[in-house]
Amino acid sequence: MTGTTRDRATNLSLRIFGILVLLFLFAPLLVILVYSFNSGRLLGAWEGFGVNAYQTAFSSPDILHAVGVSLRSSVVATLFATLLGSALGVAIGVRTGTVVSVIVGVLALVLVTPEIVQAVSLMPWLTSLSVDWGIAPLNDGILRLAIGHSLFATAVVSFLVRGRVRALDPALTEAAEDLYASRWNSFRQILLPQLAPAIGAGALMAFTLSLDNTIISAFVQTTGNTPWPVYVLSSLRSGLRPELAAMAAVMLIATLALLALAAAVLARGGSASSTARALVGSE
Amino acid sequence: MSRMARTRTSGRGPRGSSTLLAVPGGIWMLVFFIVPILVVVWYSFGQKPGLYGTHDNSVLSLDRYGEALSGAFLLTFANTLQIAVIGTLICVLIAVPFSYWLAVKVTPKWRYVVLALVLVPYWTNFLIRTLGWQILLAPEGPVTVLLRQLGLVDAAFSMLYTKGAVQLGVVYNYLPLMILPIFVAMERLTPALREASKDLGAGRWGTFRQVTLPLAAPGIVGGVVLVFIPLMGDYITAQVLGGAKGNMVGQMIAGQFQQGQNWALGSAMSVTLILITLLSVVLVGAVGIVCGAILRARRRLPIERTAAGATPARTGTEVPA
Repeated sequence: MTGTTRDRATNLSLRIFGILVLLFLFAPLLVILVYSFNSGRLLGAWEGFGVNAYQTAFSSPDILHAVGVSLRSSVVATLFATLLGSALGVAIGVRTGTVVSVIVGVLALVLVTPEIVQAVSLMPWLTSLSVDWGIAPLNDGILRLAIGHSLFATAVVSFLVRGRVRALDPALTEAAEDLYASRWNSFRQILLPQLAPAIGAGALMAFTLSLDNTIISAFVQTTGNTPWPVYVLSSLRSGLRPELAAMAAVMLIATLALLALAAAVLARGGSASSTARALVGSE
Repeated sequence: MSRMARTRTSGRGPRGSSTLLAVPGGIWMLVFFIVPILVVVWYSFGQKPGLYGTHDNSVLSLDRYGEALSGAFLLTFANTLQIAVIGTLICVLIAVPFSYWLAVKVTPKWRYVVLALVLVPYWTNFLIRTLGWQILLAPEGPVTVLLRQLGLVDAAFSMLYTKGAVQLGVVYNYLPLMILPIFVAMERLTPALREASKDLGAGRWGTFRQVTLPLAAPGIVGGVVLVFIPLMGDYITAQVLGGAKGNMVGQMIAGQFQQGQNWALGSAMSVTLILITLLSVVLVGAVGIVCGAILRARRRLPIERTAAGATPARTGTEVPA
C-alpha cells in the first residue's frame, strides 16, 4: 500500500520535473515570440503590442539581404554535404580496412574540433587560396560560407548514411546481382531507396546546421555577404531592435513547418518511432 | 556467409566501386579541414613580426605556447574549463531523470511528441535562443521583475552579465544534445527487462541503479562528449549573457585573429584548446571505462558469492546428516 503511494509520488514528481524542463526549454523561444510584437524601439524594453516590428523587418533591406545570404549559402552547403557525405557514408559503410579507419578518424576529428578552431584555420587558408593561388571562385561570399558550413554537416551525413548502410540486408543487393541487374541499376533501385531516409534526414540537419552557423560564418564571410546570424551578432553592439525578433519568429515558424513536412514524408514510410530516430540521427 | 558472398562478387558488387565514392569527400576534407589546421599548427611555432604583420615563421620556437599558457590566458582557460565541466555535469543531472521519465513513464503515443518538443529549441538559431535569455534576465526583464515583486531580491539585482547567467545559458543551449543520446539508450529498456528485474527481487531503486543506469551509460558518455566539446569552443553564449565576465578561450582566439592580428599566438591557443579538449575527453572516457569495470565487478560479486556460499553451506548440512 505504502509502496504504491510512493510509486505514485515518484511518478508525479517525475512528471512535474519533465514539464518544468520543457518549460525551461521553451522559455526563451516564447519570450522572442512575445517580444516580436513589441511596438517600442528597443527589443528588451516592452512598450506596447503592435505588429510594426514585422513591417519593419520585411522592409529592411539589410535584414532581407542577410536572410537571403543565409538561405543561399545553406542550400549550397546542403548540396555539398549531402553529395559528399552520402558517398563517404556508403564507402565507409560497405568497406573496412586501414583507409576506411583513416577516413572515419578524420570525420570524427571534424566532429570534435571546436568550431572556433575550424573558423580561424579556414579564414587565412581561403584567403591564401584565392589570393596567392589565384583560385577566383573562392572570392565568392556564398561559396566561402557554404564550404565553411559543409565540413561539420558532411561528417554528420556520412555517419547517418553509414549507420543505415550497416543495417542493410546484403541479401537484397545479392538478389539484384543474381537477377542480372547492372551495378548502376542495383545502386539506383536497391541501395538508394533504402538509404533515402538517412540521406533526407542528413540533408535536413545539414540545412539547419548551416542556417544556424555563426562562428565559422563570422570568419569566412566577405564584405557585403553577411549571413543572418552574424548580422544579429553584430547588432548586439548597436542595440537589439524588435524587428530582429520578428524575423527570428518568422524563421522559427518556417523551420518548424519544414520539419513537420519532413516528418510527414518520413512517416509515410515507417513508424513514428523510426521517424523520430531518423530525425535525431540515431538510426 | 554474406561477407563471403560479397567478397566473391567484389568485382561487380557495390564493394568494387565503393572506394571511389570516398575520393571526392576525402579530397574535400583534406583541402578544407586537414591542411588549414596543419597551417595553423605551423603558424603556432612562429611569431608576430611587427605592428602590421600577422605571422612570421622565419624563426621557429615554442614561445607562443609559453605565452598562451601564462597569466591571463591560463586564467581564461581555467575559467572555460570550469564552465564547461559544471555545465556538462548539470546537463547530465537534468537529462538522466528527464530521459528516464520520457523513455519509461510517458506513454508511447506521447513520447515522440515530447521528444519533438525537446528538439524544437535545438532546431532554432542558438543566437536567437540566447537573446531570449538576455531579455529574460535583463534588469527590467520578466524574471528579475518577478523576483523583485516577490521580495526575493533587492532593486540592484541583475543576473545578466554574471557567471551564473553564462552557466545557465550553456546548460540551456546544450541540454537537448545531452537528452537525445540518453533517451535513445534508455528507450532500449523494454518493460519486460524491468519486470525481469522486479521478479528477481530488485526494488525500484535497485532496478534503476542496476538495470536502467548501466543501459543508459553509453548514452551518458555520448552525451558528455556531444556537450563538452562544443561547449569548450563556444564563446557566443558567454559573450551575449556574460558581457565582460564571459571571457572564454574561444573569444580570446577570435580576438587574436580579428583585432589583435597576432596569428601566431592565436594559433598556439587554438592548438592548446584542441589538445586540452581531446585530453579531457580521453580522461572522461578512461574514468568511464574504469567506473564501468568496477561497477560490473561489484554487480557480479554478490551472485558469485551466494553461489559459492551456497555450496559449502549445503555440503555443511549434508555432513552431519
